[in-house]
Amino acid sequence: MRPFALNYARPAAPTPAAPPYAYDSTRQLNVLSDGRPAACEREVLLASGATVSTAGSKTHFDD
Amino acid sequence: MTVLVLTCKQDVTADMVVTELHERGVPLVRLDPADLPGEVALSAEYVRGDFHGHLSTSGRLVSMCGLRSIWVRRPGTPGADVTEQTAWVTAECEQALYGVLRCTDARWMNHPDAAARARYKPWQLQAAHRSGFAVPATVITTFPKVARQFAENHQDLIVKPISGTHPTDPPMALPTTRIPPDVDFTEVAAGPTLLQQHIPKLADIRLTCVGEQMFAARKASDPGQVDGRFAENDHTWEAAEMPARIAQAVRAYMRAARLAYGAFDFAEDNEGTWWFLECNQGGQFGFIQLATGQPIAEAVATWLALDET
Repeated sequence: MRPFALNYARPAAPTPAAPPYAYDSTRQLNVLSDGRPAACEREVLLASGATVSTAGSKTHFDD
Repeated sequence: MTVLVLTCKQDVTADMVVTELHERGVPLVRLDPADLPGEVALSAEYVRGDFHGHLSTSGRLVSMCGLRSIWVRRPGTPGADVTEQTAWVTAECEQALYGVLRCTDARWMNHPDAAARARYKPWQLQAAHRSGFAVPATVITTFPKVARQFAENHQDLIVKPISGTHPTDPPMALPTTRIPPDVDFTEVAAGPTLLQQHIPKLADIRLTCVGEQMFAARKASDPGQVDGRFAENDHTWEAAEMPARIAQAVRAYMRAARLAYGAFDFAEDNEGTWWFLECNQGGQFGFIQLATGQPIAEAVATWLALDET
């Protein structure tokens, strides 16, 4: 028997594209290809969707 | 004294706080427990009643006794990269890392014990009621008969995960969903089911509490909208005024939960009542700060940088 709540599940959102930044272990934060910190670029953060509330995301459920 | 940030590399919300700490010249070490063992290494020795040790990552070394605060943001599971006896290595790593960190005098945001308890939805609802929040009627049951009776009593219901997680095998999304009262509840017997009185809402409220500071934000809802995370509309988050009694209840909840950080979700009804839905002890704040300009990262950095010694 299928758990009741699963009757209301829907397909998961597709995995987002790779963000335009990468972790810099020296600076301990993510940087764009030109070296600017990603966190200082509002438009980049909004476009990546990496700061939104996505409870139950792939790796964490604390959102 | 150093701030220890436990989070994954791709966490740009943590970057917002790291940037603040850099600007203030506060020493910090950021690492992901998932990289232990390997990129992250630790050593601690018990000497005459105390543990002395250090952590290292990417060429940085931090003494356990040199930690002023520990921010548990989005840490990965220790031992994630090992290939042999993974579960056992994970348990060993968790015991070693979090066990030794528990021996420090550092302040935690949030302490793992408090965080673990605060994740339980039933505990949240009870603590919320005792703290003075309005809490929707809720039942968690595996008895179809109880579910049917609850539906008869309350008529308008939602169902949502108890754990806050979504199914992963295969990956699916499980939004908070409104259900008709005459639905067939037979399958409730197949797993604990959380049913809750539906609160028709004018808006979603996200209140982020950082130490003593609170930031309330409001986002209008479409008529009939239930789960704002899955809604597609043009409404945006805006800074909101907070009723005094809500602030008082938040303080009571945070004390009861022993949390330094919490993200509260409320449903605002047409009478202006804020109904408690949940408090996520590790909830996101990046999207709120980006939308409202509220200085939440600054508040987190201030809390972490505070030197109480």
